[in-house]
Amino acid sequence: MSNSSTNHPAPAPVAPLQAPSRLFSTLEGVFNEELFFLILSVFIGIFSGLAVVCFRLAIDWTHLALLGPLPQTHSWRLFAVPALAGLVVAALVIHVFPGIRGSGVNQTKAALYIFNGFVPFRTAIGKFICAAIAIGSGQSLGPEDPSLQIGAGIASALGRQLEISREKLRLMAPVGAAAGLAAAFNAPISAVLFVIEEVIGRWSAGILGSVVLSAVSSVVIVRWFLGSEPLFRIPITTFKRPTELIAYAVLGIVGGLASVGFAKSIAYLRPRLNSLPPWTQYFQPALAGLLIGLIAFLGAPQIMGAGYDSMDQAMHGQYAWKMLALLAVLKIVATTFSFVSGTPGGMFAPTLFIGAMLGGAVGDLERHFFPQLTGSTGTYVLVGMGVLFAGFLRAPMTSVFMVLEVSGNYEIVVPVIVANTFSYVISRSLQTVPIFDMLTRQDGLILPSLEEDREEAILRVEDAMLPAPAIILNAEDYVDANARRVQDSTDSHYLVRMHPSGWNIIGRDQLQRLFREGKGEHTLASVLPQSLPSLYPDLPLDSALRYVNDYPLVPVVNRANSRKLEGVVSRDSVFKKYGSRRTEEVPNAADWVDP
Amino acid sequence: MSWSFPKLVPRSAPVILLILTLAAATGFAAVSHLVARFTANQQSRGRKLYAEGLAETRANDYDDAINAFRAALTCDPTNSQYQLSLARALRDSNDPRRLDEAESYLIALWQRAPQDAAVNLALARVATHRGSIEDATRYYHNAMYGVWNSDPEANRSKARIELIQFLLEHGASDKAASELMALATALPPTPAAHLQAAELFAQAHDYAAELAQYEEVLRLDPANSAALAGAGNAAYRAGDYITAHRDLQAAANANPQDADSRLLLATTDLILRNNPFQSHISDPERNRRITAAFTQAEKRLVECAQKSSVDLKTATPTTSSLATLQSLWTEAKPDLAHLRSPTETDLPDAIMDVVFQIEQQTVATCGAPQGLDLALLLSSQKREAASQ
Repeated sequence: MSNSSTNHPAPAPVAPLQAPSRLFSTLEGVFNEELFFLILSVFIGIFSGLAVVCFRLAIDWTHLALLGPLPQTHSWRLFAVPALAGLVVAALVIHVFPGIRGSGVNQTKAALYIFNGFVPFRTAIGKFICAAIAIGSGQSLGPEDPSLQIGAGIASALGRQLEISREKLRLMAPVGAAAGLAAAFNAPISAVLFVIEEVIGRWSAGILGSVVLSAVSSVVIVRWFLGSEPLFRIPITTFKRPTELIAYAVLGIVGGLASVGFAKSIAYLRPRLNSLPPWTQYFQPALAGLLIGLIAFLGAPQIMGAGYDSMDQAMHGQYAWKMLALLAVLKIVATTFSFVSGTPGGMFAPTLFIGAMLGGAVGDLERHFFPQLTGSTGTYVLVGMGVLFAGFLRAPMTSVFMVLEVSGNYEIVVPVIVANTFSYVISRSLQTVPIFDMLTRQDGLILPSLEEDREEAILRVEDAMLPAPAIILNAEDYVDANARRVQDSTDSHYLVRMHPSGWNIIGRDQLQRLFREGKGEHTLASVLPQSLPSLYPDLPLDSALRYVNDYPLVPVVNRANSRKLEGVVSRDSVFKKYGSRRTEEVPNAADWVDP
Repeated sequence: MSWSFPKLVPRSAPVILLILTLAAATGFAAVSHLVARFTANQQSRGRKLYAEGLAETRANDYDDAINAFRAALTCDPTNSQYQLSLARALRDSNDPRRLDEAESYLIALWQRAPQDAAVNLALARVATHRGSIEDATRYYHNAMYGVWNSDPEANRSKARIELIQFLLEHGASDKAASELMALATALPPTPAAHLQAAELFAQAHDYAAELAQYEEVLRLDPANSAALAGAGNAAYRAGDYITAHRDLQAAANANPQDADSRLLLATTDLILRNNPFQSHISDPERNRRITAAFTQAEKRLVECAQKSSVDLKTATPTTSSLATLQSLWTEAKPDLAHLRSPTETDLPDAIMDVVFQIEQQTVATCGAPQGLDLALLLSSQKREAASQ
């Protein structure tokens, strides 16, 4: 068994690809596919919400049954349960649900870009069962990633069953993913942003409505059943003096470095554990569980499971800075081993945990040396969560909105942005490939990334623009007058300024032919019926490709005054620009191999 | 193994939407049932843990109580009673780091039910742990005017008494006095309540009000020896020595073992017999008292000088304050002869000023006086208070 998302089962036969699909051929005039997709998004949200409620109950029930309501240190259960549950999970993963190893985010992304929206329903069921056992037994993983994949699995199954078009079926998985994540986090805005940033990988207005609808409806369901209590009891947070931003910047730097350490430890260990003999995979989750059990047994049971209760306590100053720092380090170790062992579960909650503890530790330490700092421990804990989210998961927008949505406090928005920016920049500098991209590349997949898209400089028309020609003919002048103007010129084509507006083009040969044919006393406007399309300097260069094959020169005009010629583009100038760009941007080979 | 759905759905949008709605409703009902059962189990488990927590709290084992309440809350996270109990245990565990968490729980409860007196009282006690007079006053007032589940009057009174004690401990006497006035108007008609109020007035140095409370106790229970002693004591501190004498005498009679009352009674007796400014005494008696006081003042001065190793014959005002007093006393001595003169109406005051100065200033050098000196000192203080 390979620990990769490439072991996605072969895509099941995808719905027939005729367009419009069978469904909508009978609905003409009543529903169009867009409207139906929106309504379907609400149902996806409802079903995902119901599934996530059950998933959370399953985790709670497992936790209570295996560890009791409040694990006590030095209890034999702490030591034994995670390891024994690890054996059970490994057996289930190997023999029953082989597709559930790896990151649910990446598997959903792969469904979108590679498998035509196909997420096996079996994977959703497997994630539900195995993640509930793993997290409930204390493995250091969170429920958000499995919830995301459960939502994607439900959406994909529904889409396949309804035989919607391939285009829409591809989008079902992210819609379900947003619903699952929103239900798990009880935070619809963050879920929508995360799915846009990490799953879809690009801003697409076409899907935004569906993602929002599904996320909101799933959150409504979860709140209906489990109440609208936030994940944490938010303490009083304060931000009074702008100079305190320096303290938050320091937190951002520390968080960025911790993110890099966390990501690199996963990047280093995961391929090595995958390369071990297959029989070892029966024991890898158990060994991770043993390590976690040992840490808990020796006095840090806070690192078990998602750890939301401990984050809540950290937020209210229950731990001294040394304990907070120790918990952050232990959680990095525990989560790394849990994740690389192939135990199903997500890294959202552990990331928040590490950030919370680190934030509290840095904040307390800073206030020890600078007592004039007014931010409470809770403020630093909250900001720390965003810092790790930005640095480790590399979702900068989600990281900011998540903290705001979880805390419901906009007073700390500036500290969050400052700290997250530092963390993100440091993480990007020291760990070129984001964690999710690194995992997909380790699994042999190349999926699009919003971070890469952001980095890519867009070529614009102005980049390939040539200076305006010296001779510009006037459409109101006679053919013979224009022929005389060009008789000393060597150019093959001339732009013609039309009246009252617009542009056209005429070849030197064509002009001379018209003259020879006795049309010298006709105006150029009368013999050039069609207008030439024009471009604007700021348009993407791709838009010039539509015209440069048909016209030897395309005018580039000013947006404020279309009669003002800024320059021209030609086929050669455009292709030359693309060619020069290609030679400038040879991909860094180091980025494409396992770190 | 294939997990694909059977293709049961007819391809008609209204039918599909109907089926999806039915499926959602079915799922909703099923999950409702599941959540209800799970919640019931959890609540049952939570109740057991909560009972354990209460037992630990009663045993003052706050760490275990906190663990038990936390566990109860994991079973029933929205239970207000568990949250309140956890917050109280966190607050009472004498760990300042836990106050924040306690406050956070209580604030959340307060936001849900700002009129809940128990929550406001718990918040007030957190504020007292922090020493915040403003917050404590606000939350105690909320508790007083909030909704109590049982015995509201007694609970309100207790809350106000807590607030008064807190204010007095933190030196906010003015605020305490106003709270005491409010307390006095709403006291239940029991000797115990008035005795407690009297003690609070005593702490607030409002001896007249203290005396009034003891008198109220004596009205309800004329033989209450504690009230008799308290009333005598209060009157003594208020400078009402006639009343003090009466009540202390009654207290001493009621409880012959009450040495404190007897001691005060003796001092009061001395004051009443030696104070020249006592009303309803004849001129000769006043002059006799002035002469006796003047003689006693010299005695006190000489004793004090000996005690301080100051030779009054050689000392000068620049080297000793006692020498200044000696000089004042010597200057005033000839005036004693003119006390009977009807034209020298200011003389008694002038002579007694010297006496009072000696009695007051020797306290700093030689400590608190006894006997007649104490009586003269107290008389001087009463005189000073009356002139102010």
